[in-house]
Amino acid sequence: MIEVRDLTINIEGKHITQHVDFTIPRGRITSLIGESGSGKSMTVSALLGMLPVDAKVSGYVMYEGRNVLDASDQEMESVRKQDVFTIFQDASNSFNPSVKMGRQLYAFSGERVGDTIDVFNEKMKLILDQLGLAWDVVEQYPFQLSGGMLQRCMIACAFYVEPALLIADEPTSALDMVLQKEFIQLLIRLNEERNTTILLITHDLDIVAEAAHEMAVMQQGTIVETGTVETVFSNPHHAYTKRLLESRF
Amino acid sequence: MKSRKALLFWCSLLGLIVFLTVFSNMLAPFSPNEMNMDDVYSAPSSDHWLGTDHLGRDVLSRLLEGGKVTLAVASGSVILSLIIGIVYGGISGYFGGLTDTVMMRLLEALITIPALIIILSFQAIIQGGMWGMTLLIGLTGWLVTARIVRSEFIRLKEEEFVKMANMFGTPVWKILWGHLLQNSIPAIFVVTLFNFAGAIFMEVSLSFLGIGIPPAIPSWGNMLYYAQNDILIGAWWIALFPGIMIFLTILSINFIGEAWKNPKRRRVND
Amino acid sequence: MISKWVGKRMVMGIVVLFIVSFLSFFIMQAAPGDPAAAFYGGNAQTLTAAEKERITRAYALDRPVAQQYIAWLGETVKGNLGTSSKEGRPVSEIIMERLPNTLLLFSVTMFFIIIGSIWLGTVAGMREGSIWDKGLSTFSIATSSIPAFWLGILFIYFFAVSLGILPSSGSGDVEGNGGVIDKISHLIMPASVLIVTHVGIYARFLQESIKIENSQYYVKVARANGVTESSIRKGVVRNASIPYLNYIAMTIPSFFGGSIIVESLFAWSGIGQLTVKAVTTKDFPLLMGSIMVTGILVVITLFIVDLIMYAMDPKMRKGGAR
Repeated sequence: MIEVRDLTINIEGKHITQHVDFTIPRGRITSLIGESGSGKSMTVSALLGMLPVDAKVSGYVMYEGRNVLDASDQEMESVRKQDVFTIFQDASNSFNPSVKMGRQLYAFSGERVGDTIDVFNEKMKLILDQLGLAWDVVEQYPFQLSGGMLQRCMIACAFYVEPALLIADEPTSALDMVLQKEFIQLLIRLNEERNTTILLITHDLDIVAEAAHEMAVMQQGTIVETGTVETVFSNPHHAYTKRLLESRF
Repeated sequence: MKSRKALLFWCSLLGLIVFLTVFSNMLAPFSPNEMNMDDVYSAPSSDHWLGTDHLGRDVLSRLLEGGKVTLAVASGSVILSLIIGIVYGGISGYFGGLTDTVMMRLLEALITIPALIIILSFQAIIQGGMWGMTLLIGLTGWLVTARIVRSEFIRLKEEEFVKMANMFGTPVWKILWGHLLQNSIPAIFVVTLFNFAGAIFMEVSLSFLGIGIPPAIPSWGNMLYYAQNDILIGAWWIALFPGIMIFLTILSINFIGEAWKNPKRRRVND
Repeated sequence: MISKWVGKRMVMGIVVLFIVSFLSFFIMQAAPGDPAAAFYGGNAQTLTAAEKERITRAYALDRPVAQQYIAWLGETVKGNLGTSSKEGRPVSEIIMERLPNTLLLFSVTMFFIIIGSIWLGTVAGMREGSIWDKGLSTFSIATSSIPAFWLGILFIYFFAVSLGILPSSGSGDVEGNGGVIDKISHLIMPASVLIVTHVGIYARFLQESIKIENSQYYVKVARANGVTESSIRKGVVRNASIPYLNYIAMTIPSFFGGSIIVESLFAWSGIGQLTVKAVTTKDFPLLMGSIMVTGILVVITLFIVDLIMYAMDPKMRKGGAR
């Protein structure tokens, strides 16, 4: 669905990524793995058209036959609004602290797809229920909820909008082990039930093993290995991938 | 690069003003108090570059002499409030706990009372001269400095190197002086600069109200006090020039202070 | 929660007023001559022995200083601020005549400063790197470096002396010939002087806090997920306005100081001009009274600002973390 070709990002003369190539196939969970500082988050920013103003970028990010990197701000805004949903790492800071959750959940879901508040209330209530969240959360402020609950609220919105592509940027690294497992299960469910294409950014091989179908390994701004999870795990080529896999056991 | 040039510009402007006022004795074309009743309210001319006032005194000479007075009062009071601020904020920040709470509550209460009101009421009683004014402005101007020093001390106290010094039994005064105070200097410097601007404002305001510097001594504020009447008969030059001097002085201090504030923290992307 | 919070603020306000009252009382004690004279007023000679006796008893003037203070405070709380030594009228009466003018000037200037600074600050803060963004910083430093009273003198020269379109001094009278128009024409210059010299710094503060807020994580998340720009903006401005309100609260005292000078320059007959007059004529009871009233005004204003902040910040209301 998305093809990233030769993506190079430069900020103030420093190479953040160099010649990055990978593909996100439709209906699959693709994982982009690498340690922090390897350029994963900047790659995501490039996909979303949200690079810092001083970033210089070249290459292609092909989405539905056109290069996202050339798109105007307005076009990107509508892509972000209609086709993509992004879950970020730090759930507890992902919401405006002084606005009630209900209002914000609506902005993230119902308002995006053009539903009225009433439709939203009905639909969201069901989703929250399925995700084990009480309807009460809509009356609360973000700081009254835990990080795990907030991240579940985020994915509830993803369930609501059923985006063509869900980007999850280290969605579990701020959660404890039990919550991590639960959250990954939710991602898998979203993929299986609604056939949502997911790009999962992580530094954790266990998560890749559990959730992803495809993977791309990133090191110091370049992609060193791509393939299905099975093939990469059973037959790694690059030294860095081997090291990663060894350290896992 | 550009901001560096700007900083240099404002520093030299301030330096020039200070230079002109400090050496006013030599630079002034007339004696600041020399009256000439035949030549009152004369507009700027080649004789009197900036004109004369209601007693025929040369405005330029008074401007330079007045600047010396204004800047001296401001400097004196800033030094005084700097000392009080460091001691008060230092005690509060270093000891913490109940001492800190009580001292900060008191400071919060004091900060709510307009300083001008306090100074006015004391001026009413003591009718201080130049040094009395300096004292009063200094005694009311230390609150923000104290607050900054306190927060710097609290921040630094938690730093690794101070904790280490504590563990190794470094004497308290050495920690206070060597570690806490010296590392707070950048923050104290900025607040003192702004304090200096505030002190100038205070002096000119009080003298302008006619309750500051005694009328016999020229100061920028004093000159403006007489200017409010002079302006009504159209003698604009008496009001214009002291105001411009005040404006330029405070402007350059503010720009220097801005440049000194830490460059904005930039968010580091991973 | 709210009652506890309000209580805390009240205590703070009362502490401030106590300090102000010490200051006032100290002035009376330190004033040259017999402190008792302050209460007899300028016409002390005309009082009968019985009246003097009554006043002495009311203010405990024959007792130690501490008791005098308590007696004086008791009278002050009852609204008896003594008698002006120059005018021979009760201080409270003089102050009540002046109070509306001060409140008018204060509310008009504050209204325009807040409206203006919110507008400028939001425009500049939302367009980072634009000409507005850079221009406002310079504009605010420049305007806040102008002494308000000097600007006032220049205004008088232009608008009153040269052009003759505005009155140079006085505060106008609604009941007089000119009516409301007269009042407004007297108000324009003092108000605009205060507005011009203050709107910049407040706008700049809001601009800076909007910029900080704009770089917050939640804004990035919202933008990435196509939340409408207008609703992001609303959230950002709302959050940025809390530190902005706090800044207003912090600068209100010096703003009052500035308006004292502007009132004097334009002979705007408010509390500020009254204070200065009391100082220059050494009318100590009047001075004490105006200091107390200024203190009360500041405390009330701060309390209102605090209430607005409390209403806007759910973290404060819910007693949440941070």
